[in-house]
Amino acid sequence: MEISSRRKFLTTCLGVIGVTGLGAALYPLFRYLSPSKDAGTKQKVTFQLTELAEGEARYFQMDGKASVLVKPKGGTVAAFSAVCTHLGCIVQWQKSQGQFLCPCHGGQFSAQGAVLGGPPPKPLEKLPFVVNGTTITIG
Amino acid sequence: MFLFRKIHNWLNVRLGVDDLVEKQLTGYLLPANINRWYSLGSVLLFIFTLQVISGVLLLVYYVPDADKAFTSVNAIMNTVPYGWLIRLCHVVGSNMMVLVLILHMLSVLFMGSYKRPRELNWLSGFVIFTLVMAISLTGYLLPWSQLSFWATTVATNSAGAIPFVGSYLVEFLRGGALVGPYTLGRFFALHVAVIPIGIVAIIGLHLFLLERIGVSTPPFGLSDTKNPWKDDRFRHEDHPGGIPFFPNYLLSDMTSVAIYLVFFLLILFFASNIFLPKDAFIPANPFQTPAHIKPEWYFLSNYQTLKIFPNEFIGLMVQGAGMTFLALLPFIDRGPERHPLKRPLFMVCAVGGILLWIGLMIWGHYS
Repeated sequence: MEISSRRKFLTTCLGVIGVTGLGAALYPLFRYLSPSKDAGTKQKVTFQLTELAEGEARYFQMDGKASVLVKPKGGTVAAFSAVCTHLGCIVQWQKSQGQFLCPCHGGQFSAQGAVLGGPPPKPLEKLPFVVNGTTITIG
Repeated sequence: MFLFRKIHNWLNVRLGVDDLVEKQLTGYLLPANINRWYSLGSVLLFIFTLQVISGVLLLVYYVPDADKAFTSVNAIMNTVPYGWLIRLCHVVGSNMMVLVLILHMLSVLFMGSYKRPRELNWLSGFVIFTLVMAISLTGYLLPWSQLSFWATTVATNSAGAIPFVGSYLVEFLRGGALVGPYTLGRFFALHVAVIPIGIVAIIGLHLFLLERIGVSTPPFGLSDTKNPWKDDRFRHEDHPGGIPFFPNYLLSDMTSVAIYLVFFLLILFFASNIFLPKDAFIPANPFQTPAHIKPEWYFLSNYQTLKIFPNEFIGLMVQGAGMTFLALLPFIDRGPERHPLKRPLFMVCAVGGILLWIGLMIWGHYS
């Protein structure tokens, strides 16, 4: 075998070993740094309905996102994502007005999550829930 | 290739890349009789880089709070994907760094490369050695386990033997009378910021001095082993007819790194528990000292020396004298001879010193 082709062969082998080694090092690194799917979240959240007074809202975390359970005056309980559909700020429950207000750009949502005014393009995302007696399970 | 050539020309015209490559790489010649021990410095650079990378990765999940530190380390080991690998890389790497550093120091000692005109290189290397010991000590506390807590208590207690300022020094080191959350805070700052910056700076100086003065010639394999430098003017030690750094010596360095990785990975995957005894898995309890708490292996001889002397201050002074002697060795051993077999007094002292250090370490382990 000529020296130059032997050198090429050995260099190629070294390259393959190097790339394999790099891959073996990068894969655990990628897995280490990747966010965990269930980081700081619960799949289902349970509340006692008695914990929530009429006209009040309760904020909690669901799938890593801020969420809210609201019991409007004279209305039914509802659960939404508390993330404003405009640019992602957290909407605040206005007890006196019975609606949500986004502090960032003034977006307004009704107690049912519908857009009342401001820049939000879509209503608040509804979260599924089940009421079992006095227990409400969201998710 | 055409694109590569265009980029190369563009850089060459502006930076003189070819000239740089010739000066620093292909034209940088090393002695023809260079041996494997000379690549330990490169292995150390590799280990330090790996320590920095694994350390930064650990920072992603580690919480430097006394109430959360142990839990966060537990989470890294058991919950985070491949967290155990990153943590063990850091643990095994820190111990291997000290071991390879000692081997590097011994090779410099035995080949007489600390002698003139390389005194500054020895001194900068000694400073790096001290900083590596400090970074190992500070890092040991961070997991906040029983082992961490009480080994740090023992280590910081020793400063109390210094007359007049001893007790204040202990409190200053700990951030309080006892090891606690304030100790964790300052040790964390030292471990991740202050000491690494210091190590990088002194390594830069060390490498600059190495290149400026020139690599030493090993005292073996040549008929003339005497140092030809006459102490009259600066003379860069070059090696015409030697081997080029790039690619020859770089490949030799990479071979040494690969050999190191074999041992490193063997220990990491099959024997990492030698660096993690059972006390490393129990959260720190300030009200309960475990039986037989001991420092890490590289501090065992210091620990045993303190136990031998009835007066702790004398024990500290003896160690201080030993370290000072080692630091000033190039100014004490001024003979021109560098071949170890032609320096009988040096060999007796060096071998005796190593045996004493190992003996104290073994005694410290079993005492």
